[in-house]
Amino acid sequence: MRVFGRGEGGGSADGIGARTESEYEALRRRCEERLRALEAAEPLQQVHLPSLLRSEGMSRRTFLKWASATTALLFLPASFEKLVARAAAVMNRVPVIWVEYQDCAGNSEAILRADGPTIDELLLDVISLEYHETLMTPSGFQAEAQLEDALQAFRGKYILIVEGSIPTEDGFGFNGPRGESFLENLKRLSRDALAIIAVGSCASYGGIPAAYPNPTKAMGVWDIVKGKPIVNIPACPMNPANLIGVLLHYVLTGTLPELDYLLRPKFAFGYRIHDNCERRAHFDAGEYVEQWGDEGARNNFCLYKMGCKGPMTFNNCSIIRYNDGTNWPIGVGRGCIGCSEPGFWDKYAYERPMAGANIPVPGLWNLGIERSVDLLGVGLLTAAGAGIAIHAFLSAKYGKKSDEGAPGAPPKEKS
Amino acid sequence: MNGEASGTIVRVTRMPKSWRIFHWVNFLAVFAAVVTGIYIARPYYQAMIAEPAVRKFVMGWNRAIHLYAAITIDVLCVVSFYLYFLSRFERPVRKLLPTREHGREFFEVLANFFTFNRRKRFDSAELDTFNAAWFTLLHLLLLFQLFTGLQLYVYSLESGLSSVGGWWPWLMHMATDWTYWAFGGRMGVRWVHHFTMYLLLAWIAFHVYYEIWRTVYWREGDIAIAFGGEKIARRLPGTAAE
Ligand code: HEM
Ligand code: SF4
Repeated sequence: MRVFGRGEGGGSADGIGARTESEYEALRRRCEERLRALEAAEPLQQVHLPSLLRSEGMSRRTFLKWASATTALLFLPASFEKLVARAAAVMNRVPVIWVEYQDCAGNSEAILRADGPTIDELLLDVISLEYHETLMTPSGFQAEAQLEDALQAFRGKYILIVEGSIPTEDGFGFNGPRGESFLENLKRLSRDALAIIAVGSCASYGGIPAAYPNPTKAMGVWDIVKGKPIVNIPACPMNPANLIGVLLHYVLTGTLPELDYLLRPKFAFGYRIHDNCERRAHFDAGEYVEQWGDEGARNNFCLYKMGCKGPMTFNNCSIIRYNDGTNWPIGVGRGCIGCSEPGFWDKYAYERPMAGANIPVPGLWNLGIERSVDLLGVGLLTAAGAGIAIHAFLSAKYGKKSDEGAPGAPPKEKS
Repeated sequence: MNGEASGTIVRVTRMPKSWRIFHWVNFLAVFAAVVTGIYIARPYYQAMIAEPAVRKFVMGWNRAIHLYAAITIDVLCVVSFYLYFLSRFERPVRKLLPTREHGREFFEVLANFFTFNRRKRFDSAELDTFNAAWFTLLHLLLLFQLFTGLQLYVYSLESGLSSVGGWWPWLMHMATDWTYWAFGGRMGVRWVHHFTMYLLLAWIAFHVYYEIWRTVYWREGDIAIAFGGEKIARRLPGTAAE
């Protein structure tokens, strides 16, 4: 049994772990040493962060603001801000291979900045993406050759980022010109990886492809790869800020962040949506949106009755939001669908409270039996009521009342 | 067996005062947990929109009452299991031992119920095996609510912090995290916690019906046990107890 109390990370990563003044001092020394080494190393990709920022019209002040926000995101004291800024500049020293399996490319999309780029998104230009099918220019055998080169050059040093679930049923999901199955591909690429980061709910737990009846027997990375450090960054899609957080943490400290029982970084998934939601006061007050567009909706009431799963979902979107802090689902007036929780599609993503929704009955997941708990419960009570009524009727008709004064059963033998 | 006899009728004490207090406190707590639990599941009344939010806390109160009721149930659950084994009045656990005699009695009580009291071949002056098993089922259901409910409670303390100290969430995690894996995650835990409420309601429905039925057909005043602690039992002439 996995127990998930405080500090009970299921992962093999050390995490920052510092709590006291002297521990932070030791951590700072370690980070500085590491940054010096990285700064001395040859960049894998010729990107100069200051000029990149300038070309996007971002001032140094904007960058420093980002650095202090990211320092806080990683639970580091403000004195680490400069180190975080330095780490961002040397992110091009860490080789990254990004593969995509069964999914909608939403996580790639999330970093592709359809709108103006954020610094988090820009930093994904800085990292040395050795291979990313969707983004790279080469394709087919050329792309394959590039991948081989990267695998040779960075054996044991690259971070493998996986997007999408892995089908384990024969005949589903192939990539590359040789038609290698996703499963084989993942096994091959993970063998020499330093660590694996599963981005999005599909790569983390199977996500939507794994929804019932899961025709491809889709799984998450951690179901398949054993004995490697794995970080899950679920959500649909993951927030680019959290990916940058994990990568920066690695660049800065040489370790992966502290993880929770689902291998999610605690700095991002240690919060419950519900506890940091701007509508929480309305929840406690019993003020709910009852229908889209009603009086409650116009007053930004709580979305619990419209099926908000914020009370059961852990993620930091209520704090850092999406698209550079522009907004997030509950902010735009629709409930949370628990997209960062395992099995969210079957168990969380419906627009009514759990009690009234047809969801898989616990214990009978694989039979496809989906019932609302209230329907089954009221059915049970009706059956009980009917049984009682029948018994009462038959008792009245055929029953025998013990007679006044008539003897009952003999008492038990006294021992 | 305690009691006094008068002819073929004996008066027996079946629940001491403390048991009766536990019985009714338990009933009230379960009732409160049901009413507030349903509200938590689907808030079925709307707070008056014109009221300022600071004064109402409708959901807040429902959750608070649910948790007060829960703590009451949890404490009584521990007390009940203690009494099962160590009560000075009567130890129901003895009735649960799977002996041949108990098996026969269990069957006889059922036969009595399904023959509509045409056949009654067991001693109705004391706790019978069927009711002992039925009451145990209640305590197991409540124990189950305790585990699933505490899991629902502790998961929101993700920070591991608590005003009484980190040991408290730690203890709850240790005791209840198995439910997370057993029911396929938090939503599964919530589902079974909710469903067990219906099992409890069905349990109560049968319990109330059965005690009334016994009172009507046996004519031994069983329903009075819960109030005065005593009932009467019929005896063959000349075999009065004690
Ligand atoms: C007779 C016993 C009980 C009944 C009938 C009952 C019923 C319920 C119901 C129907 C819900 C709503 C679940 C949903 O969302 O569908 C609920 C929630 C909950 N119950 Fe119970 N419950 C009982 C005992 C307990 C106990 C012993 C605890 C222990 C602490 C507990 C803690 C909770 C918690 C924490 C929640 C979730 C509240 C929230 O998310 O705000 N319950 N209960
Ligand atoms: S909108 Fe959702 S997360 Fe926000 S308070 Fe309501 S239930 Fe909680």
